[in-house]
Amino acid sequence: MGRQVAIVSAGFSEHASKRSDVSMPELVSEAVEDCLKNVPSVGFDDIDAFVNGNMPAFEGSNIPELWMTDWMGARNKPLLRVTTGGTTGGTVAIAGYYNVTAGLPGIDTVLAIAFEQQSQGDTAVGLASVALGEISILNTLGLPYDQISRLLSGGAAIGVASYQATNYMRKSKITEEDLARVVVQNRRNAAKTWWAHLKMPDLTIEQVLDTPYISYPLRYGMVCPASDGACAMLFTTEEKAKDMCDIPVYVNGVASVSNTPAILGYDGSGAGQLDPSEQLGAKKSSDIAFGQAGISFPRKEIDYAEVYSPFPNQELMWVEQLGLFEETTAPEMYETGVTALNGELPVCCSGGVNSTNAIGASALERPAEAALQIMGKASNQVPKTVHTSIGHGWGGSLNLVTLMVMSDEPQRKWR
Amino acid sequence: MSKRTERKDMDYIKKEYIKTRTMPASWYLSSYKYKFNITHMQPFLDKLKERKLVGLQCSSCNQVFFPPRLVCGQCMVKPDRWVDIRETGQVATFTVSYLKDPETGEVLERPMVLVRPDDADTVLLSQLSPKIDFKDTYIGMPLKIHWKDEITEGLGNIEYYDPIDDDSEDLELRKD
Repeated sequence: MGRQVAIVSAGFSEHASKRSDVSMPELVSEAVEDCLKNVPSVGFDDIDAFVNGNMPAFEGSNIPELWMTDWMGARNKPLLRVTTGGTTGGTVAIAGYYNVTAGLPGIDTVLAIAFEQQSQGDTAVGLASVALGEISILNTLGLPYDQISRLLSGGAAIGVASYQATNYMRKSKITEEDLARVVVQNRRNAAKTWWAHLKMPDLTIEQVLDTPYISYPLRYGMVCPASDGACAMLFTTEEKAKDMCDIPVYVNGVASVSNTPAILGYDGSGAGQLDPSEQLGAKKSSDIAFGQAGISFPRKEIDYAEVYSPFPNQELMWVEQLGLFEETTAPEMYETGVTALNGELPVCCSGGVNSTNAIGASALERPAEAALQIMGKASNQVPKTVHTSIGHGWGGSLNLVTLMVMSDEPQRKWR
Repeated sequence: MSKRTERKDMDYIKKEYIKTRTMPASWYLSSYKYKFNITHMQPFLDKLKERKLVGLQCSSCNQVFFPPRLVCGQCMVKPDRWVDIRETGQVATFTVSYLKDPETGEVLERPMVLVRPDDADTVLLSQLSPKIDFKDTYIGMPLKIHWKDEITEGLGNIEYYDPIDDDSEDLELRKD
């Protein structure tokens, strides 16, 4: 059995579309400093190992961890790097968790860092390269190039999300207004979060619906921005955590599950997942993580959820697929205010990925924010006491899902 | 070309580093040679030239893959049964792309669809007949293949999908 792992602190850099005032290492050090500021007793000497990750193709600097070691404080320390596309941050968090729970001699405190400075490079090139191998097969099988290019520019991440959106809208019989409502809630929440990117305190549903289509049914006003930013999270053991901060957050369950890709099949074959909005990976990951954490009734036991939702339809999908709401009832919950800041089950009170998307860092920001909500240190703190929260990440070819379940009490049922 | 930018005033950062300089650069990512197996594809591509559709069925879970797949990911079994597939299908999901015409510059609204052939268990990216208005597209719309006039390579033989009469009872419900 592994050791119980606790989160003692989390930190962010300020996010903006162009952080041209800092270089990439400085951006990382901002987040690291903000993280260590919350735990005054911890210095760089106390951190035993480092995990970091980003998507190198998005910003044009390959293997950045090799030349920014000093900026993370990782000199002469074990350093691990993971990159899994959109879920990079989620995987970084899970790798940090594994490092501590493994119980290696001398490794107790681990700093997990994820970052992305998208303004440095061309994100479209990076995104295209993700599926280029699969798409080029279709071309050699004789599918005309104009169709493929339309898929790409219809395109990339938003292309696949719009397929999900049409399916989800058909399934739960909602209109674009319901999608816009999710956006409005997120952008208004973001206005109260100091590190968020798109802060729109006075946004209305009409304003969102007034913007042109980018790819039906998603409009310009609904999609996530491309941000520069970094995030850091400090993991340690249960014993050390009590000395470091007042309210340690215990990690009780993690999962990282991959499923059949949608839209593009393996080796040019047809995609086996007929309904892209049916994310079996999310269901499986929630089964695993909730099972580890001993959660039988997610809707009642979870107080706060941070889901990875660059597009509004995904936020509705994830809360259903993760078991927080019954299927097709999520839009109703957003309408009645269950998911609002003072609601029964607040979702994405930091503004979510919909308001801030530094791709590599995004999935780490979810568990980080969820942990801060338990500690009571989040900048847009929910009024009720949060005991259990989840941080979710999504990426890959529509199929990889990471999930981390955190609580203010350690899980002792099976440990 | 380099551009100087001033750092915003933020109290939590070291004040010493206040200036950055931007250097333009390019990352030429070479050209790639992706490898993939087409042994299992050959009968499928040959049949397409005869204007016939075939799929590969997994003998363990009976899933039909169209286009064929080398290994069934669910059962880890090599699908080995060729089955005929009808020309009709349904829209599994769709989106509308707004792309500019490279010549005229006007925005073309074209529905991009994933079609599920009636006998297959997979979906394939395709396009609809240009006569269809994108507003009339809906999930579950019945379709039939429109073959290209001259015989070409592989999937290129399927020019587009034509809509056929929808005789389902809950048609109005579907179009919502």
